[in-house]
Amino acid sequence: MNIFIRELRANFRSLLIWGAIVILFVTIGISKFSAYEGNPEMLAILDQMPQAMLEAFNMNAFNLTTISGFFGVMFTYFALLASISAAMWGSDIISKEERNKTVEFSLTLPITRSRVITAKALAALVNCIGLLLIIWGASLISVAQYSPDSEFYNFLSLSMLAIFIMQLIFLAIGIFLGCAMKQYRRAGSVALALLLGTYFMSIISGLHENLEFLKYLSPFKYFDAGVLLREAKFDPTFVAISAGIIILSMVGAYLTYSRRDLYI
Amino acid sequence: MNKNIYKLEFNMNLQSVITWSAALAVLLFIFVSLFSSIATDAELLNEMMSEFPEELLLAFGMDNMDFSSILGFFSFSFLFAQVCLAIQAAYYGFSLVSIEERELTADFLLAKPVGRTQILTSKILAALSGLLITNVVVWISSFVVIQLFKGDRTYDTGALILLLLSIFVFQLFFLSVGLVISLLVKRVRNVTPYAMALAFGMYVLSVFGDMLGESIFENITPFKHFDPGYIIEHASYNLPLVSISLVVIVLSLVGSYLLYNRRNIPAPV
Repeated sequence: MNIFIRELRANFRSLLIWGAIVILFVTIGISKFSAYEGNPEMLAILDQMPQAMLEAFNMNAFNLTTISGFFGVMFTYFALLASISAAMWGSDIISKEERNKTVEFSLTLPITRSRVITAKALAALVNCIGLLLIIWGASLISVAQYSPDSEFYNFLSLSMLAIFIMQLIFLAIGIFLGCAMKQYRRAGSVALALLLGTYFMSIISGLHENLEFLKYLSPFKYFDAGVLLREAKFDPTFVAISAGIIILSMVGAYLTYSRRDLYI
Repeated sequence: MNKNIYKLEFNMNLQSVITWSAALAVLLFIFVSLFSSIATDAELLNEMMSEFPEELLLAFGMDNMDFSSILGFFSFSFLFAQVCLAIQAAYYGFSLVSIEERELTADFLLAKPVGRTQILTSKILAALSGLLITNVVVWISSFVVIQLFKGDRTYDTGALILLLLSIFVFQLFFLSVGLVISLLVKRVRNVTPYAMALAFGMYVLSVFGDMLGESIFENITPFKHFDPGYIIEHASYNLPLVSISLVVIVLSLVGSYLLYNRRNIPAPV
């Protein structure tokens, strides 16, 4: 419990900084909506475009003149920012003890290593939830002036749930890396490489139908905002894959950290 | 400049430079290798797009997107190379002097009979040499992958060279901004989040502009200053925007020297 509170306080500033960044992005993004709102010309332009073109730019899913469609386009980027922060918090929270040379101290406390991981993981989780609530709140406040309908609120809750699952995936992977890497400096770099790799993969997989299988490898593709908007439900396959990744990473984290040689 | 500091710094970064360079070469290879399968589809698309009014394409930022030409597709791929280059340069910038304080070696280094200005110059030059190696690798791999996958299409070498020349200023931007931020804050505990936030923040900002309509905010991001699509399309730089980059670089470098010379360094004991 003490570790949990200690970690929460230590990470509070980082949460504030990430919160400020996402609030900035939400405000900038939504402020652009005024150019599209109820603009029939835009809609006419969209109607004229051939299906193939809309498909190619993944715009057929969204009607940019409604706030839901507009938010759907921004969803990917909020998910990206939330995933980055989750991966950073996850990989840092374990490995920082070695960097700050405090690992000897914290591991001589009369608690097991698994409990240390549990407390730290929970603290990082609370941080992720905090960031999610900030995104949610900022979105709600900045769309209020466009008086959205109930469909938008459903879509918003659903996309927040999707972002939360993505955060969990990257948080779990980050914690696993922090626990498993022999060199503490590696954890952050490997987490970064994974983030970049999966993000680029999500872009490549949209380019051509032969490459669609890549979407199974990239968490950014697990939850498509267009599908969320139209069908208002998650694809169970991807929910299962996400749960698998999260459980495997956490089990791996506990197993590797309890028998790890520490860098002092 | 001090030779010993330069050599030490350069060797310390070497492994990371090699990793980044290899990753960038692989990235470009993978992206451009997709070209031949996409080009046929893209030609059909282009035919359809040519019937649309210019304003429409402008409104959706598709005016300088052409997947059927090798350079058009390369400029799209190059955006992702830019993301990597930005993270690498920002990482070096943030860790350049902060690492000494984090690893408690700052007082050892500063006790040497070398001025702080000299230390900073040597460190910046070492980081720049590392970035230059990556730069050269990107040049070589760009030409190689384009030759490999262009098929019988031709391309405008001048535009490509202009695009590749922009890398250096682009790297310098993130290096110097990272450096000055690391000197502005009291203590950098972990470099990765800072570098990620700077590089990805700028990237997302520029993508927002592309997709959701321009606004004045986007003018601060170098991804806009060196928009690959623009450089390839016009075979020239967007000079007013590029000069913003240059001004920021000069300001941050000058600021870094001023700040580092009067920085209070915490001692370990």
